[in-house]
Order: sequence, then structure tokens, then C-alpha cells
Amino acid sequence: MLPCATKAQTGNAAIPHGTVELVAENQWIEPAHESYLGLHFELEKGWHIYWVNPGDSGEPPRVAWQLPTGVTVGEIQWPAPQRLGTTSIVDFGYEDGVTLLVPVRVEPSLAAKSPAQAQFGAQVKVLVCREICIPGKAQLSLTVRIQPQPSAADLQTRELFAAARKSQPHSPPSNWKFSVADLKDAFVLTASLGRRVKDATFFPLAESQIDNAAAQKLVPEGSGFRLTLRKSDRLLKPIERLKGVLVVSGGGSYLIDVPVDKRAATGKAESEAKQP
Amino acid sequence: MKRSPRFPILIALLICAVPLLMASPKVGETAPDFTALASNGKSFHLADYRGNYVVLEWHNNGCPYVGKHYKSGNMQRLQKQWTDRGVVWFTVISSAPGKQGYVTASEENDYLAKTQATPTAALLDPAGEIGHLYDAKTSPQMVVINPQGVVIYDGAIDDKPTTDLSDVPGATNYVSLALEQALAGKPVGTPTTRPYGCSVKYAN
Repeated sequence: MLPCATKAQTGNAAIPHGTVELVAENQWIEPAHESYLGLHFELEKGWHIYWVNPGDSGEPPRVAWQLPTGVTVGEIQWPAPQRLGTTSIVDFGYEDGVTLLVPVRVEPSLAAKSPAQAQFGAQVKVLVCREICIPGKAQLSLTVRIQPQPSAADLQTRELFAAARKSQPHSPPSNWKFSVADLKDAFVLTASLGRRVKDATFFPLAESQIDNAAAQKLVPEGSGFRLTLRKSDRLLKPIERLKGVLVVSGGGSYLIDVPVDKRAATGKAESEAKQP
Repeated sequence: MKRSPRFPILIALLICAVPLLMASPKVGETAPDFTALASNGKSFHLADYRGNYVVLEWHNNGCPYVGKHYKSGNMQRLQKQWTDRGVVWFTVISSAPGKQGYVTASEENDYLAKTQATPTAALLDPAGEIGHLYDAKTSPQMVVINPQGVVIYDGAIDDKPTTDLSDVPGATNYVSLALEQALAGKPVGTPTTRPYGCSVKYAN
């Protein structure tokens, strides 16, 4: 086993009330295989940053990558968000810190170069808030060895990535069924999970679809529930699908993508949606 | 659930009370009326401005999104451009005392002088009454009201929801667009967008 050669990192970069760091999950990257980096934010207590849909206010972190030929980076994979804010202004984000996962890929041709390594540059812009908001900017760089053999986890970052994966929303079990009714002022998400659920919250991936501050009224049904999602005042056109993260009491967050049924909803769903 | 018919008056009152508790006025609806004290000591009553276009600009002088529009001179240019054309422009400050953006009348007057801002008036709304009436969520947030008193735009100032000064020049300004279209007798193409910025600092 080779001694652990250093992966050149700039370490932590300062952001308002915290730090941000770019880390590799593995000790080296295997070409033509998916590998992961983590964008790890640590914040002072009570400070937060935002989810891809920030909610009523705020702005999600933005990353501009500087990559050499043969190195590509995929979409950020966001952990399930928390509901933040007040009763009238509701945001979605992460308090005290978060690790965003980024899939990366390296072309086999880079393995032949000397030194065989991939350089990742990332300019991160992030809004950090508590009672007030402060915009920050950090330039990160990371160099990771490339080796044409299966990667080994980096022990130092193993816990970090385990926690990051745990907080990722999962695909729902195949026996779960969802439908969405399109009412005049609300979407009604019907979920059949095979068990009773006391509490659930839906976080839409897209902005301006639902009223973020409105309570999401849940009516239990034998094998699941109906959740009323008041529409946003900004929603001007019908939507084809409702996509987002469903957090369910008793465990877990799930990424769901449900077609919106535009046929007339049942009278029961309509009258439930009207109740304050 | 069937309502009991035994208390019809109570039920009628409940039904009448609900609209007052409901959320923001939507585009196409009458702009809620208000009276407010401005930093110049005068009182302003919205209904007095029927016959004018009115712009409401939610403001917090500590918010970096507001800062982008003031440091660049963008907001001042808009205020001058549109008030020169007879539009009434109200800057509205709904920050509660002790919270970011809260200003006394003289502090606001100093700010207006320092930034060379020229709204028709800066309305002081520390109790958040106007803010809640319009369900203002962020600063900046912009509302445009037509001479008939109807909201024709409510949302972001432009299409670049960032704090970067470099995003000001190329942005599509929704306020100017709405005013230009309405003045030309055309429908407003983008009547509402998600407003971007810092949350309005209402009292807890």
C-alpha cells in the first residue's frame, strides 16, 4: 500500500461566519467511473445557507467550476432541506452546515499524463444568514490523483461522506404510489405508502409553485395520506409535474416526481382544500 | 363537515372576517389602501393617488440585495426616471425597531440625501402594517399599481436574483417593463415573479 500521498488542497476558505472546503471522497479517482467530491460548509451556530429552492427569501450557493479538458462535473446533489424562517416568511436550507455532493468524471487519457491528476477549481458564491444576510465568495482548488484502479475511501473524509449520503433524499420504495390533483388554489398530493403517517412535509424543487408559508394540511388515510399544498401567488401557468423532497414522519426523505392530474378533483379534496 | 345552522350570525361574521386574514393581494386585484407617515413628516394616503401609477419599493438599507441597487445607482435612476414621468414612488421600510433596516425619520432623510435617492416619499412602517397588507416577503420587493388602483405587478425588481453589482446593467427590469407596457396600453407581460432579497424584518 502506497503511503498516502498528499492531495493538494487549499484547505478551508473563509466565508461569512463559517468556512467552505472542497474535499474528495476517495484517495484517487478511477478514470471513466463516477467519483464524488463534497462541498463542505461549516457555519457558526444559528447561521444558515439555502437549498436549491431557497423559499421566500435568500439565494442558494452557486458554484462556477474551472476544469481542465477531460474533467467533468455533474449537478450538485442536495441533502434534504430544513424548513427555516418565520410563520409568514418561510425559507428552505441548512443550519450550522451542510455537505453538498458533486459527481465528477475523469477521462482515461488523463491517467496517461504525468503527473496523473485532476485539478478542480471552484468559485463559490454563498449567502450566509441568521437575522441578517451576508454574501460571501471563496475560491477553492483541489488536486486529486488519478489511478486506473478502483478507488479507496479516504479515511479522513469517510464520516463526512457517510453523513452527507445519509441526508440525501432517497428514491421512494417501489410500492409507494403518488398522485397530485390540480385544484383551483392548491395541489393535493395523495400518497399510498402501506402505512399510516402522522406528519409529512413537501419541499418543491422549483420556486414559485407552492405557498411556502402556508401550512401543509395532512389528512391521514388508511395506507397513507393526502397533503394539501396551497399554490403560490406567483404560479401563473399550470405545471405538468410536481417534483420535490417529501419528508415523512417515522423516517426518511424521498425525492418524488409526480405528474399533475388536471382532471376535476373529487368534491372531498376540494372541500378539504378550502378549510382554513 | 356540516356547519351547524344554529348560529348564523356568528358564521356570517367568521366568513366576513376570513378575507381580512388572507394573504397578499394578487395581481389584477385592487391594491389595499393605507395611510402612512413618511420620513419628511407628511402623511400619505394611497387612495389619494388614484389617477397616478404608484410604485411601492420595499427597502432595508442593510440588505446586500438592496445595496446592489443603491451602490450601482440603479434604484436612484429608476426613481428619477419614473417620478419625472408622473409616477408616484413610495419607498417602504417595514423593519421593526431593533431589526436591520429600521430607521428613524431623520436617519432615513440622511440616507436619502447621501444616496441621492428621490422617491416621492419614504414611508415608515415599523409596525409592518403595510408590509403585511401586501404580504411583502423580501427587500427589495416591488409593487406597481395602475391609475385605477389595481396591482399590475408584484415581485422582484429584475431577473438577476444576486448581490453582484455586475448583474445590474444586463438585467431585465420588471418595474420599468410593467410601467412601459401599461403606459402603452399593452398588457403587462410578466405580472408577477418571485421577489428576491433578504426577508423583511418584521417584529417577532
